[in-house]
Amino acid sequence: MITMDTQLDLVEWYFEQGWTDGLPVVPPTTATVAAMVEALGGDAHRLETRVPPRWGNLTREVLAINLVLAGCTPAYAPVVRAAILALCGAHFNLNGIQATTHMAAPLLIVNGPIRREIGMNAGANVFGSGNRANATIGRALRLIMLNVGGGWPGDLDKSTLGHPGKYTFCIAEHEEASPWAPYHVEQGYRPDDSTVFCIATEGPHSVTNHVANDPQGVLDSLVSCMSTIAHNNAVSSGSCAVVIGPEHAATIAGAGWTRGDVRRYLWSHTTNTFDDISFHGRYGKIYNRNLPKWYRREPGARIPIVPSPDDIHLFVAGGEAGRFSAFLPGWGHMTSPVLRAIDGQAPQHDVRCTDGTCEL
Amino acid sequence: MSTHSTLPSGQTVFDPRGTVTAETVALAPRLATLRGMRVAILDNSKWNGSNLLRRVATRLEAEAAPAAITHYTKDSFSRAALDPLLDQIAAENDAVVTAIGD
Repeated sequence: MITMDTQLDLVEWYFEQGWTDGLPVVPPTTATVAAMVEALGGDAHRLETRVPPRWGNLTREVLAINLVLAGCTPAYAPVVRAAILALCGAHFNLNGIQATTHMAAPLLIVNGPIRREIGMNAGANVFGSGNRANATIGRALRLIMLNVGGGWPGDLDKSTLGHPGKYTFCIAEHEEASPWAPYHVEQGYRPDDSTVFCIATEGPHSVTNHVANDPQGVLDSLVSCMSTIAHNNAVSSGSCAVVIGPEHAATIAGAGWTRGDVRRYLWSHTTNTFDDISFHGRYGKIYNRNLPKWYRREPGARIPIVPSPDDIHLFVAGGEAGRFSAFLPGWGHMTSPVLRAIDGQAPQHDVRCTDGTCEL
Repeated sequence: MSTHSTLPSGQTVFDPRGTVTAETVALAPRLATLRGMRVAILDNSKWNGSNLLRRVATRLEAEAAPAAITHYTKDSFSRAALDPLLDQIAAENDAVVTAIGD
């Protein structure tokens, strides 16, 4: 019989193997791994995907092990599975995101009834700590990117700075506090479908406006935040995310503006010019082939942050008190965001309305 | 490969890394000289990578006497070059030079 004092501290053992994100993991047991495989649909050796840049084989058993290590319950397993399948599709280019010197990390945003069923936080401190589902779902994705994808800092992950979302980066849309149809409904899914949305972004930048009582005032603060030459969208285009706080959303929607109106206003009024992004010629003639070909490269020409309003992915989340929103610049044209149903089904794409509101 | 093993203490531990399935691909035979060869310059579209390749092309032209230097550009510096482009480069050249530079 083995007594307790001969047992190793398995938390320390996993640290010694280098199989953690730097925080203690939950040591798996045969029973907890089996329960997680069961939650994934059984068939432990079934290959779900390969995770770049190491291209490790993610079987259901390996996925289950990482879920347990992260502290997930079996109820979270379908969300993590859907998210890692979204991340590993060719469009997302996880290979580049893992390896880039930029700080981008995949952000996961969950929509639909599963948010409530597994107790996700879409409200106060939504990007912060304090909720097991948000924290461990995001952490499981990161552990898979590390352990299976090999994205170890300085090795296959060459990020100069990284950002705190490379521990965990997972939120839910606050559909109940939103005046608009949820993101996934706008994109053609039913309100009772549950989806994951993945986009590679920098960390959230706060947008404060405690004064404006109209859409333009609130959105001009967002425009100011977006109009900088420092983020990757300015030099590499692509897509970005905007998270509107519930108070700001109420102000905007109270004046009759739709989600689409917000995206189009933001797209139309960002103020970067070709002079700004070419440093006013200080370093010679710069053309920048990483921006869309149809942008004018001449003095005074406006350089949109992203090619179209549809490349601004808009969500409502956060606490119901506080006049704040957030802008999350994307990685650039090198990645395409992915929206995927948790059960893998395609959207219905009903054309009864353009923004999904008639589905509610 | 088993994902779990037993420590001397009797405790079961699990390997979260997954296996890697790889095949060995041999490199193409190396050229003894670039003289008279068709050389491709594959630009990954990054600013400093392009600068580096322009200088390399100038040096090759002056010092290696290739038959031709042809320039190609990837659609995205971060995505893999598409197969048709790789096939075209392979069909039209004897050697290819590429670079990455942020």
